[in-house]
Amino acid sequence: MDYVLLIIGAVLVNNFVLNRFLGICPFLGVSKRIPTAMGMSGAVIFVMGMAAAVTWCVHTWVLAPFGLQYLQTIAFILLIAAFVQLVDIVMKRFVPALHRALGIFLPLITTNCAVLGVAVMNVKAASGFCKSVVFALAAAVGFSFALLIFTGLREKIERADPPRAFQGVAISLVTAGLLSLAFMGFNGLVK
Amino acid sequence: MKTFPSPFCFSGGIHPAYNKDLTCGEAIRRLSCPAQLVISLSQHLGAPAVPCVKAGDIVSGGQRLADAAGMISAPIHAPTSGKVVRIEPAPTPLGRPAPAILFEPDGRDVWESTLDPLADWQTHDPRALAERVGAAGVVGMGGAGFPTQVKLSPPADKPIDTLIINGAECEPYLTGDHRLMVEQAATLWEGAAIIRHILGAKTVRVAIEDNKPDAIRAMETALPTTLADAAVCVLKTSYPQGSEKQQIFSVTGRVVPAGGLPMDVGCVVENVGTTLAVWDAVVNGRPLIWRTITVSGDAVTAPANFLAPIGTPFAALVEACGGAKGRIAKIVAGGPMMGFAQAALDVAMTKTSSGLLLLSAARVPGYTSQPCIACGRCLDACPMRLMPAELSQRIEADDIDGAEQTFVMDCFECGSCAFVCPAHRPLVQHMRRAKAVIIARRRAAPKKS
Amino acid sequence: MSDWLTPILWIGGIGTACGAALALAARYLSVEEDPRIERIANELPGANCGGCGFAGCADYAKAMVTADTAATLCPVCNSESSAKIAALLGRSVEVSERKVAVIRCGGNDSEALRRFAYNGIADCAAAAATGGGDKTCTYGCLGYGSCVRVCPFHAIAVADGLATVDPRVCIGCGKCIPACPRGIITLAPAAASLHVLCSSKDKGPVVKKACGVGCIGCTLCVKLSDGAISMEGFLARVDYSKPLTQDVLVEKCPGHCIQKIG
Repeated sequence: MDYVLLIIGAVLVNNFVLNRFLGICPFLGVSKRIPTAMGMSGAVIFVMGMAAAVTWCVHTWVLAPFGLQYLQTIAFILLIAAFVQLVDIVMKRFVPALHRALGIFLPLITTNCAVLGVAVMNVKAASGFCKSVVFALAAAVGFSFALLIFTGLREKIERADPPRAFQGVAISLVTAGLLSLAFMGFNGLVK
Repeated sequence: MKTFPSPFCFSGGIHPAYNKDLTCGEAIRRLSCPAQLVISLSQHLGAPAVPCVKAGDIVSGGQRLADAAGMISAPIHAPTSGKVVRIEPAPTPLGRPAPAILFEPDGRDVWESTLDPLADWQTHDPRALAERVGAAGVVGMGGAGFPTQVKLSPPADKPIDTLIINGAECEPYLTGDHRLMVEQAATLWEGAAIIRHILGAKTVRVAIEDNKPDAIRAMETALPTTLADAAVCVLKTSYPQGSEKQQIFSVTGRVVPAGGLPMDVGCVVENVGTTLAVWDAVVNGRPLIWRTITVSGDAVTAPANFLAPIGTPFAALVEACGGAKGRIAKIVAGGPMMGFAQAALDVAMTKTSSGLLLLSAARVPGYTSQPCIACGRCLDACPMRLMPAELSQRIEADDIDGAEQTFVMDCFECGSCAFVCPAHRPLVQHMRRAKAVIIARRRAAPKKS
Repeated sequence: MSDWLTPILWIGGIGTACGAALALAARYLSVEEDPRIERIANELPGANCGGCGFAGCADYAKAMVTADTAATLCPVCNSESSAKIAALLGRSVEVSERKVAVIRCGGNDSEALRRFAYNGIADCAAAAATGGGDKTCTYGCLGYGSCVRVCPFHAIAVADGLATVDPRVCIGCGKCIPACPRGIITLAPAAASLHVLCSSKDKGPVVKKACGVGCIGCTLCVKLSDGAISMEGFLARVDYSKPLTQDVLVEKCPGHCIQKIG
């Protein structure tokens, strides 16, 4: 039951993009077409899950025992960056089409505050390994959820004709804001 | 059981003002042959007919003027005796010019036909009868003009068990089929029997909308007791009840698969006019040369139903109705929903011309189109259960592939969506554009095995 | 261990481990890519106009290197870039003449008649499909701007119901040609300035009834142009491979359909 509440909390109530405002960069960058957004979602779920696992391990077995918690930021960034670069190389080799589609956004996951955010939140909550990974995966699913909804909206906005002042990113940001307001409706769902 | 209400009705549909009272009480009048006929060689779906006469030839009524070009084509015959003046391109109701025979009737109406009358058609081989129908140049007179012989010769792996005679006539203003059912009910049943014999079908149904009570009564009364498994099916009045797929569902409950044909569910639908033309071809040996046409609208002095020879110029039809009344704002060949607007009255009628409408400015308000507001009325109205709003937005953004994925090819351009759209969007035009692009692409793409 | 040595060793250790993993991955999972592709892609203009027939500049660069495609397909490249690309491919330079698009119709709303009021999508293909098009001349420009929307360089504009190409902006990518449902856009050498702005195949009297600046088939231009203009049925056509400099044709043409552009 604990896990169910954790997942609902991460996906809906405290959605990483729409409530915590983390990971906005890929949210706006990759939300032009559904196939690309789905590819990005897959990549984020994978990276966040693995990153949470690896960072938890390093924190529990290296940083904490040796009293090096203050190195948390540097160590996590180092691990996440290396890991995403590894994913980049693997993707280029095995799924070149998806790699071409995601282009610059793959390295963007490296500096993505959502990935670092999830790692830091796990440390703060002092959760066990399972809970950390589940929380990270749920957060990534929440990110994907918001991303796919937003992509669908954006595909329709592409075809519309907003006033000059709103064209391009402007109307997208307004829409994201409205989506965020909509997700506020989930407040209080999980205490 | 002679008459029964249809057990089903298709989803969607609209209820436009029908205005059929202008002509539904008018008996069909035979039009006297005009001074000149313009007989188009492209009066049917498929390849235009190839002329077998030349300029200066004198021909008799019923004589063949042009041969069918290929399997999906139909021959064309002279409506009366006269002279072939010349063969040259002429405008057609569809807008594109096509080769046509300029014909001058001589008023003597000398008749000659190569087809013998067959009073005992029951004893003849169905295939021979189908060939006779093809040789008589009979095509679908409901509007599409599909060669009837091809329709009556389904492949062996598609057995037909139900024949539906389409008496729905769902288009506003048009009353030609209605009058045919009232005036020639007995002949119509015999025509249906002939078609049933050709197809080897078991069941015959005549489908009539419930806004034609006199036609229903006439057909019910004239139903011969010797005709087995035949009945009148009364349909709920809803546009487009006259469309094949919708009618098959309303009468039998069967759904024609997307991209499929009525024969895929064991049905054939034939228009009332076509059925009578088949009867004429078989029993009297007459080819298809005259047809019923409704001339109506509020810019016509005396709206009426005519039996006119093919090739009659629209101007002659209007004259026979006492001329135009007031300023004509719009000329429509066909019905107002799926008919084609004309630039002038210089076009001549063809085998598929079911109506000619002259409308005043009061009936044709100007409008400006606006962006889609996603109200969803068009989704409710579409009889094929498509999403016209989404489709039109994709087509407007030139996403033709996206439109193809959302089944734009299933749209048969009935106009229900455009009728209900509060933003007055030209939805049918968008669909037509997308379909033209997709068909051109399919034609250009090399066939991959 | 001391306060500063532990963190250094640990972070250093993690860093080394990551570096080693990445080095191994780069070694065994790397994808072979010809470095020339990227260098050629940098030389191309990067407009992704599709004028070469490929999906974009990167795609064309790849085709040139891997599929041995001709290096002269890019109409936007200047001679300097073309030379660099040829050098990278190890081929000799071929110079191609610059072309611009010409819309062969002069019938704007002051000269050409419209036979009905068209109320529908502002798209030329849609208008042409409706009753054969609302212009009395069934060959002329309908002026609803399908070519304008397709041009990646905004070189075409519609004024008074007629589309015209600005030869200073047009680079001759040819995207407008399939967009025109009447098929009256053609590519002509940028140096050529005299054009017959009519595409009507109708006879003279029919053309005159439909439009004030249509070709009436008088063949006067054929006589005055030294063979550069010839008749195709009732319509005069310029052969751009022959020199045509007789500016006097503009005044002499009785149909007023020969114009000087650029």
